[in-house]
Amino acid sequence: MADEDYEMDGGYEDEPVEPELDEGVEVEEENNNEEAPDPLEGEGDEKQEQEPVERPRKTSKYMTKYERARILGTRALQISMNAPVMVELEGETDPLEVKCCEQQSEINMLKCCFILCDLKALKSFSITLQIAMKELRERKIPFTIRRYLPDGSYEDWGVDELIVEDSWKRQVGGQ
Amino acid sequence: MFFHIVLERNMQLHPRHFGRDLRDKLVSKLMKDVEGTCSGRHGFIVAITGIENVGKGLIRDGTGFVTFPVKYQCVVFRPFKGEIVEAVVTMVNKMGFFAEAGPVQIFVSNHLIPDDMEFQSGDVPNYTTSDGSVKIQKESEVRLKIIGTRVDATEIFCIGTIKDDFLGVISDPGANP
Repeated sequence: MADEDYEMDGGYEDEPVEPELDEGVEVEEENNNEEAPDPLEGEGDEKQEQEPVERPRKTSKYMTKYERARILGTRALQISMNAPVMVELEGETDPLEVKCCEQQSEINMLKCCFILCDLKALKSFSITLQIAMKELRERKIPFTIRRYLPDGSYEDWGVDELIVEDSWKRQVGGQ
Repeated sequence: MFFHIVLERNMQLHPRHFGRDLRDKLVSKLMKDVEGTCSGRHGFIVAITGIENVGKGLIRDGTGFVTFPVKYQCVVFRPFKGEIVEAVVTMVNKMGFFAEAGPVQIFVSNHLIPDDMEFQSGDVPNYTTSDGSVKIQKESEVRLKIIGTRVDATEIFCIGTIKDDFLGVISDPGANP
């Protein structure tokens, strides 16, 4: 690795697509000032883990479905906690509007209020999830994924760099 | 003694502050959280004078909160043994008196008050010399020497003396010329 230059972009073009990396995904809020990766305070991670990989990154440029799930979940949670939304909204705002009616008719009358309450809570969450999906589709989610490798090092990938897989297009939309 | 040092703190930020003014929110929250607190290690944090840098945030699982490591410059006040400070007397009793030098409380025992000063009880308890020329009571300003500190994790307490040269009352509000 000594002959390789420090080059963060362009180094992964012809990498083979690796199978999904399913663990050790750290999601990270991106910050405005770009600095050298600093030692984040560790929740259990030792000092040795704290150096980033200063090589062309070698993990897959595709977002795994686990990463996607975690990003959407986290982002939806943040949006539900009044985080500023990074995309233009087109009527996704009202939780009670959204297709509540036909769902309600499906529920029998005997399963009444409290289920409906749950449903409404679910609905309002699904709205935030929809917004999160829209943000992901437009690559506006301000996160960085920290992929830990088995040797403890890690690679940081911006969510905007990663390719969201084809089979999810119907949910996330074409990219 | 005052020091100007750089400290680091992990700040948890609520998602609603993630807008354009994230950094300002972070700084104002830091000031609210930190200024006026006391740690045994560094002393009292008097004021934040600047932000060195704000590291990359780390998203907390399950809560949506983000933790930012913030490095900041601040003025801290830490009393040391042997240090001379000026303090305002807050309470006088027969055991001695308490004085405050900014945030730090200092107790001066009557063993550490010059022998010629006697305790006078009454409406305004005070220590007075036999000729009545010097009087220590509430609100008096005294110059004293710290001879001992007790440092807890979140508190600093000092023992002082005025039984030395050039120590004692600086100004006496009760003394009428």
